[in-house]
Amino acid sequence: MADSSTALVNRTRSRGGTRPRAAAAGRRSVTAYLFLAPFLIIFAVFVLFPAVYGAWISLHVWNPLIDNRPFVGLQNFIDLFTPDSLTFEDFWESMRATGIFVVGSVPLLLAIPLLVATLLNRKIKGGTVFRAVFFAPYVLGVAVISVLWRYLLDPQLGAVNAVLGLLGLPSDTPWTVDVPWAWISLIGITVWWTLGLNTVILLAGLKGINPDLYEAASLDGAGGWQKFTHVTLPGLRPVMTFVVTITLLSSANMFGQSYLITQGAPGTQTRTAIMYIADQGLGQNQMGAATAMSYVLFAILAAVSVLNFRLQRDNTK
Amino acid sequence: MKNPTLRALAAVAILGLGASLAACSSGSSGDAADSVRGESDYSGPEVDITFWNGWTGGAAPKLVPKLVAEFNDSHPNITVKSNAMEWADISQKMPLAIKAGKGPDVAVGHGDDVATYAAQGLLLKTDDVVDALGYAATDFPDGLMEAGQFDGSQYGVPWSVTPLGLYINKDVLRTAGLDPETAPTDQKSYLAALDALKAAGIQGEWADGYVFTGTFEFQSLLWQFGGDLFNDDVTEATFNSEAGVEALTWMTDLIENGYSPANVAQDGNINALIGGQTAFNWNGVWQTTNEALQSTDWTAIPVPQIGTEKAVWSSSTHWMFPANKNGDPDKSAAAATFVKWMNDNSADWASTGELPAQNSVREDPALLANYPALAPFLEQLEYAHYETVSPGITSAMAAVTTGVNEAMLGKKSPKDALDDAAKKATALLKQNKAQYGG
Repeated sequence: MADSSTALVNRTRSRGGTRPRAAAAGRRSVTAYLFLAPFLIIFAVFVLFPAVYGAWISLHVWNPLIDNRPFVGLQNFIDLFTPDSLTFEDFWESMRATGIFVVGSVPLLLAIPLLVATLLNRKIKGGTVFRAVFFAPYVLGVAVISVLWRYLLDPQLGAVNAVLGLLGLPSDTPWTVDVPWAWISLIGITVWWTLGLNTVILLAGLKGINPDLYEAASLDGAGGWQKFTHVTLPGLRPVMTFVVTITLLSSANMFGQSYLITQGAPGTQTRTAIMYIADQGLGQNQMGAATAMSYVLFAILAAVSVLNFRLQRDNTK
Repeated sequence: MKNPTLRALAAVAILGLGASLAACSSGSSGDAADSVRGESDYSGPEVDITFWNGWTGGAAPKLVPKLVAEFNDSHPNITVKSNAMEWADISQKMPLAIKAGKGPDVAVGHGDDVATYAAQGLLLKTDDVVDALGYAATDFPDGLMEAGQFDGSQYGVPWSVTPLGLYINKDVLRTAGLDPETAPTDQKSYLAALDALKAAGIQGEWADGYVFTGTFEFQSLLWQFGGDLFNDDVTEATFNSEAGVEALTWMTDLIENGYSPANVAQDGNINALIGGQTAFNWNGVWQTTNEALQSTDWTAIPVPQIGTEKAVWSSSTHWMFPANKNGDPDKSAAAATFVKWMNDNSADWASTGELPAQNSVREDPALLANYPALAPFLEQLEYAHYETVSPGITSAMAAVTTGVNEAMLGKKSPKDALDDAAKKATALLKQNKAQYGG
């Protein structure tokens, strides 16, 4: 902080002569690049190169175990849009599964953490304890929460149905084996598991809103709801854009929960896109088809993200 | 290129290149390079050999190092280094490691993997070694040697088999007034037992549509009704035959007739048997070592004959000799000696919940004296069916599970589910043929 303000002062002062300014700026850039270099190298090796290499792979029938990898042009992509091909039905069924999960989970992963963060933002007793309680599940791994809930939600032997039975409710709901209940379970588990992260980020955003604004709103006669819509929500806008984006992307990348809790059943209805792509590429060694699918998924996610940024752009400025 | 020294160097380089190319081509066409040298008792120079396996759980992590240490002590010129990792890790790492010349000298793989590896040129042929070690097909259960063959050559040497059996919770049978010692053996007696249990308010066999139980029960029934998974040259799925529909309908009828709850989750059935909520479960021999099961009064018997003939599903594991790039023939020869010794000393492998493949070991009365629970599983081996041998077969088998799952969860009729799955499986077989040949 101090450094950047000094820099600002320097820049203002050196407005007269161009040469020292350019030299200083150059030196600053070099330092910055040096600090960024390790990340850039890792980015290039593990993200950029695989992405470009993946595009090349997607143009072939690419079984990594066989030396013969014929070039097929856009055939892998054409297959994904040809109803009778080997991959068409499975791929779009898996995209549909991912879509259902995103539509079901993202609104809840925004609304509930916002509500919880607003409550935690009030100066209540034990606020930190509650914050820890809400965040706690997030530190568990996907394997842990999946095995845990598979036991609890077992249709015949699970604790959840047993408790529902005691309350006089239906005790044979197929939570983990049939739709739509499997979706309710997968979405519910994911919300419980990850809401802590969004809560903490939104809470930080709430704390960053100037309290004077609330006071001013009160003086203008605003009630609780009006303060929320006119001060809290606009104040959270930049944080919200970030939270929406990461929540969308992480929900669209859902894999572990389906893989471990429902095994994609019934049939392959809860097999998500990432699960199907992983099976194609790593299970069946069809890397060409799998990378083509990844690119289609990527294109759709990119479009959704752009739309999200457009919609959340601050139009008041 | 006026400089004579340079010219000489270039000539040497070209000659060297030619020689190495010649070595390569003679290597790949010659017998020595694509087969394991047959030697029952390795007598070459001292070698270190690496051994990969997926035995990370149960009794194996203690037993394998013990066996390896015994072998190393008794074979001064061979040092085996055992490396256990998850099966999934092996199937991901091994092909690339072999191509880079860094694979193991010997490994154990599942029956449905051998052909896939062999078709990719990742394995050495073991015809010679099988002869040299003195193995014949009759040294192993019927059909097991064939389960390690691909394209007319032997690639696997049998190590273990794991058939299905019928697990019984005796206390549950007693509750229903049944004598646990009179076990059901056929469709009639099995249905009679299920009816008696039903009358006592117990759903006798919880039927699911997942791998490990539902899929394996379906395959057993398919063979029992005279059907098969694929045609002879594995180019077409045939599990949607009349026999297949009959087999799967038998399973969905268990739910329909109230012998099983609907919507059973994976492993729900064995857990219910352990919890005393059901009497029967078709499950693999590996459950004999399930610790939770030991708290119940259980027994296992051969799976009842529901169809027109006796048949039961079994998987198998095989020794494989990777064709490492620039592999040392001495190492694979030493590995063959290790394999022979392991098979001869495999009696305690039963403690891991698998049956040793070698007949002489299984037929030794000491085996049953130590592991009496295995008797019903040994009994079934004469009519056991093993996994289909064909490269890339696991993707087609996944379609079988999807079909069984859809029928068991009431999403499709058994016929529709099997027809859809068979169509998918046949398309996948076609893809496999195009990629792997064979």
